[in-house]
Amino acid sequence: MANKKILIVEDDPDIRKGMSVRLKASGYDTFVASDVVTSLIMARKHAPDLIILDLGLPAGDGFLVIERLKIIPALALIPIIIVSGRTGLPNQELAQEAGVKAFLQKPVDNAELLAVIRKTLGGPVELEKPEYLSKPARRFVL
Amino acid sequence: MKEKPLQILLVEDNAGDALLLREMFNKEKPGSFELTHLLRMSDAVVHLAKGGVDIILLDMGLPDGHGLDTVRRAHEAAPGVPLIVLTGLDDETLAAEAMRGGAQDYLIKGQIENRALPRVLRHAIERHRMQTETDVIRTNQLQFKDEFLSHVSHELRSPLTAIYGFVTILLDGLAGELNSEQHELLEDVLRNTKQLKSMISDLLEVTRIQEGKLLIELRCTAVSDAINYTVNTLQVAAISKGIELSSDIDSRLPLVCADPTRLRQILIILVENAIKFTPANGLVNVRARISKKNPHLLVLEVSDSGCGISPDVTERIFERLFQAADPALAGRQGLGLGLHICKELVSRQGGEIWANSSLGQGSVFSFTLPIFSLPSLIAPGLREGKRADHPITLVVIEIGSRTGWLSDEARTDHSHGVRDLLRRCLHSDLDILLPNMDFAGSAELFFIVAFTDAIGGEAITKRIRGQFEGSDYFQQGDMMFSTFYKSPEPIKRNAIESTQDYLEKVAAKIQQLMNQETSSRTVENGK
Repeated sequence: MANKKILIVEDDPDIRKGMSVRLKASGYDTFVASDVVTSLIMARKHAPDLIILDLGLPAGDGFLVIERLKIIPALALIPIIIVSGRTGLPNQELAQEAGVKAFLQKPVDNAELLAVIRKTLGGPVELEKPEYLSKPARRFVL
Repeated sequence: MKEKPLQILLVEDNAGDALLLREMFNKEKPGSFELTHLLRMSDAVVHLAKGGVDIILLDMGLPDGHGLDTVRRAHEAAPGVPLIVLTGLDDETLAAEAMRGGAQDYLIKGQIENRALPRVLRHAIERHRMQTETDVIRTNQLQFKDEFLSHVSHELRSPLTAIYGFVTILLDGLAGELNSEQHELLEDVLRNTKQLKSMISDLLEVTRIQEGKLLIELRCTAVSDAINYTVNTLQVAAISKGIELSSDIDSRLPLVCADPTRLRQILIILVENAIKFTPANGLVNVRARISKKNPHLLVLEVSDSGCGISPDVTERIFERLFQAADPALAGRQGLGLGLHICKELVSRQGGEIWANSSLGQGSVFSFTLPIFSLPSLIAPGLREGKRADHPITLVVIEIGSRTGWLSDEARTDHSHGVRDLLRRCLHSDLDILLPNMDFAGSAELFFIVAFTDAIGGEAITKRIRGQFEGSDYFQQGDMMFSTFYKSPEPIKRNAIESTQDYLEKVAAKIQQLMNQETSSRTVENGK
């Protein structure tokens, strides 16, 4: 089976390179882009199975990339994972509304990123359930 | 350019003194001064409120004012207007105090030279202007410093992310096999990278404290969870230094009202510190107990058998940027922000933190957290006698995500949003929003104790529903939301019962309802 293709959209060249090496080593084919326009060109050219997206990009941000992708039928359904230094509810909500699969905070842990990618691409899931999902409700002792 | 006349307010009850001053002003160039003379402080306050006064000449012996108090009132009425006090010959001490209280200068009655008066006024105004300017500059600089710090810490994260990425690539052998020496050296790089990362998060945390953006969400929390988490997380670090890290927890300890994430953060900082300052074969212990002095508080203690701290230092150790003076003793120890962060976190949760130690004797760091108590939470609603027989309704709001939350942070953010919305729906003196309880599966339950009957309960439920449905917060398809209320039988207050007995009865009833609620959720969630 051919390797899954991942497009990495990240404006910091070093973070981009590091992520690319890491993902290639895990058996993915990677392509990179550092701005909104290039990321759309690369998405069209390679039709990736997944896009890893930074929010802070030169000339427009990650949400603009999502917006543009949505109007191209062939690209509208590509799953997206955001990896960003931005925090806060507004960004997370925008991301959720835009149908983003996951929102990871920089600096992202290698194992976590790989687990989320595997889950998104439908591979075996190794990500542990968050504590609050697996923990049964406790009776109160007041 | 023609100068505007200087607006002077003279507050003086002695007609003779006032007349003397007025004559002095009349000798000045016409149009350079305009004098308003008032007899009483109360009139002066009204006049000052209208604005337009450039300088105040204030007698300290007014009939409706008292010495320094007059100065304070004038200051309050017009904080931006310079003030000169008029005193008698024997009152110079009082005048000096007035200057410490914010007056720019003082004049001794009967000793004022004719030509000196305008100069004194101009000086006072100029001095006041310079002082104001300095204050503004200082405030701006402090703000600039905080913004700069925040910006720098954010910017430092990117290169650090890259370094972390490359180091782990090399360590995992993704760029070729490493020999053992290379591996060891890279481990050193990784360790330092992690240290840098934690310093940057400390900086960000302090910036958040400074900007008042530190989020704390109190909920009903078990300290044993936080202690176990901390001990498990730091066990490796302790073992590698040859230190025995242990904990003593009594499972019957009551729950506390605290932010579980922040509690873990405090314990991690304290235990990390303890490990840092304890030599090999030493002991570090974490324990919790009910305070002997105050039965409403739980005391958490982190003790070590380390180098100890001298008593004069234990006082200052929680100050921002404080570090032990002897670097040989401390080793390389980061930015010195950890304990300051701890102190802020503890006090924001209603507790206190302190250290007991002496050089060479090890240290004990202790902090308190309020014990979660339903009677004390609902006490404010019952304080007034007329509500003693009031019916009580428990309103329950359930919020959840159909697909599970994006992240822990998203869940916390949502929880904050929900609480804010709920607070807006409530009468703060009538209804009590209880702190969050434990998670009920993937949903979160919010309980409101309302001192009202079933009709009131329905009204509150409706109001909350309306608020939630109108907010963009919960427009998304993924969010689950439900509200309902329960009105138990009104609990009659017996005349013989003390307020405390009654409170406990009410609390027991509410607790019973909450227990039913959560256990039914637990069944629904299949756990």
